[in-house]
Amino acid sequence: MTDHVVQAIGLTKRFGRRVALDNLSLTVTQGQLYGLAGPNGAGKTTLIRTLCGLLRPDAGEARLLGWKMPSTRVRSQLGYMPQDFAVYEDLTVIKNLEYFGSLYDLSRSQIRERSAELLRLVDLTDRRRQRVGTLSGGMRRRVSLAISLLHKPRLAFLDEPTAGVDPKLRRSFWDHFNSLADENVSLIVTTHLVEEAQRCHAVGFLNAGRLLTEGTPQEVLEETGAQSLDDAFIVLQERGERS
Amino acid sequence: MRSFAVAKNVLRRILGDARTMAMIIILPMFFVLLYGNSFSGSYNALSIIIVNDDNGLASVRTAEVGRVTIAVNLAQEFIAQLDPSIFRIESSDNPEAAAAQVGNDGVLASLVFSRSFSNAVVNEALIASGERLETLEGQTVTLLPSEPGEGSSTSMVIDDSNPLIAEAILSAFQSAFAQVLATQQTSITADALLDIRPLYDGEIRILDFTAPGIIGFAMTLITVLLTAMSVVRERTTGTLTRVLIAPVSAWEVTLGYTFAFSIIALFQAAELFLTSSLLFHVRFVGSLWIVALVILLFTITLQGIATLISTLAKNEAQAMQFVLFLVIPSIMISGVFWPLEAMPATIRPLSYVSPLTYANEALRDVMLTGAGIAEIRFELIILGGYALVMLLLAVLSMRRQAHTA
Repeated sequence: MTDHVVQAIGLTKRFGRRVALDNLSLTVTQGQLYGLAGPNGAGKTTLIRTLCGLLRPDAGEARLLGWKMPSTRVRSQLGYMPQDFAVYEDLTVIKNLEYFGSLYDLSRSQIRERSAELLRLVDLTDRRRQRVGTLSGGMRRRVSLAISLLHKPRLAFLDEPTAGVDPKLRRSFWDHFNSLADENVSLIVTTHLVEEAQRCHAVGFLNAGRLLTEGTPQEVLEETGAQSLDDAFIVLQERGERS
Repeated sequence: MRSFAVAKNVLRRILGDARTMAMIIILPMFFVLLYGNSFSGSYNALSIIIVNDDNGLASVRTAEVGRVTIAVNLAQEFIAQLDPSIFRIESSDNPEAAAAQVGNDGVLASLVFSRSFSNAVVNEALIASGERLETLEGQTVTLLPSEPGEGSSTSMVIDDSNPLIAEAILSAFQSAFAQVLATQQTSITADALLDIRPLYDGEIRILDFTAPGIIGFAMTLITVLLTAMSVVRERTTGTLTRVLIAPVSAWEVTLGYTFAFSIIALFQAAELFLTSSLLFHVRFVGSLWIVALVILLFTITLQGIATLISTLAKNEAQAMQFVLFLVIPSIMISGVFWPLEAMPATIRPLSYVSPLTYANEALRDVMLTGAGIAEIRFELIILGGYALVMLLLAVLSMRRQAHTA
């Protein structure tokens, strides 16, 4: 069993003439919390969708847990939180969790247990019987996050899990991501808030479909000589434009 | 006026949507063309069996030599009057077999001319005495008035499960008889010559005849609309991607949809049958189980079509337009209001593609004539084939949609 939970090798994806991923390679190891940062349209979502096998790359290949994607074999171990809410607005919070839990063959008691746990994490225990359509955008995103982690995936792709979430809860999310990583879960988390990547074991800065840099937050700061990740990103972006 | 700004924005958004634009331009023309073409007003290839036992001879009284026999061949003349573009005539020499054949294998009527048909007509009909005729022996004779009372000597069995077709056949026969009788200077009417036995005692009304098609159409509209909308909504909100990234196959998702909508469809069907028979006494003499089987196969087919529609539609509004585009015409081409036999040859291939044609035919046979599985096996096989193919296509399109969400 390889330690490389996620392997992207020379991924290229075009939409028409626009190049969304440009010969991109990266690896994520087991138990690693990998932050994927970059501005809007940098290719973060495209990268995640390609890694999950939802998009076919035009060149290169993606491997999850050693399997070449798209593959059905990794599904039960894969958690995916899409950028759009992807929840049933006409159902209550708990019914959403129950439905997706049943798709992962979780037993009734497992679903009950896990739902309670995750609803505490996303701070929606009081609202579990409320229809999702009546919740605010930030709350819906929290429901979506709970669904993605319900089945205890070994590997989770979380696309902007903290967008629209207030600072206090955002911090508890990152705490949770860190503790999941401690339990050997690998997480790939995208954010357009570059500073958030501080909490990750490794960060990748994505711009125009290319990885500008990759390393621990410390390494990135040293490489760029910047004070913060925000500054580091701007330095890298300008460097990229000049060359 | 801010209304202009609103109007401009609405129009701009519609103009920018190529599919909606295409619908707006094509749909009205398509409907008019289809409607105008789908009913020709005349029938073709109506299958009938004629048993002509008529010996063509008539025995008449003459002034000169008493009774003589003359050749008139009236049955022959009658048959010659039938338009071959409307009727497909099969000859037979077995009256019982011909009568028994009606209602099976598309045979719509049997007409038997008895041996003495010509004689009966001539003797019933000839009131014009004094006419001079040549006998078989070449002698010229003057006719005396005939002695009435021989009675009509045809027997006809007609399949009146389709009142429109039965009506058309009868009126064609009557006008053919009228043509024949016109040559005989007679006051006798065509009615008096036809001894008609309707297969269903004329109990089937036009309402009964159209009801199965209307029920099928209502089911089509509701099932296709509901399925297409749900799938499009699942795709556009992203839940479909989420479902398909879980360890669930496109097969399982499609079958799940099929189970759910089959339950809804069967419930709807029950509601439709119940209300139509309670409120309008629509004829229902067949087996409920067979009807349920037809509905089930039909529903699976419809769902497949709906899933394909949802692949083509970018959003729910487009899905709605596609549904209207596909479903509304189906009622015109599937033999719901007028029989397939009245459909012009240009449109008929479309009729044979529409699954509603087969559902309608099968439901009609079961409801109106109490047909069993064996009698509607052709429709069941076609619907079953459709269901299978559509289910497969639905699975493929489900799989595709997870990737395009």
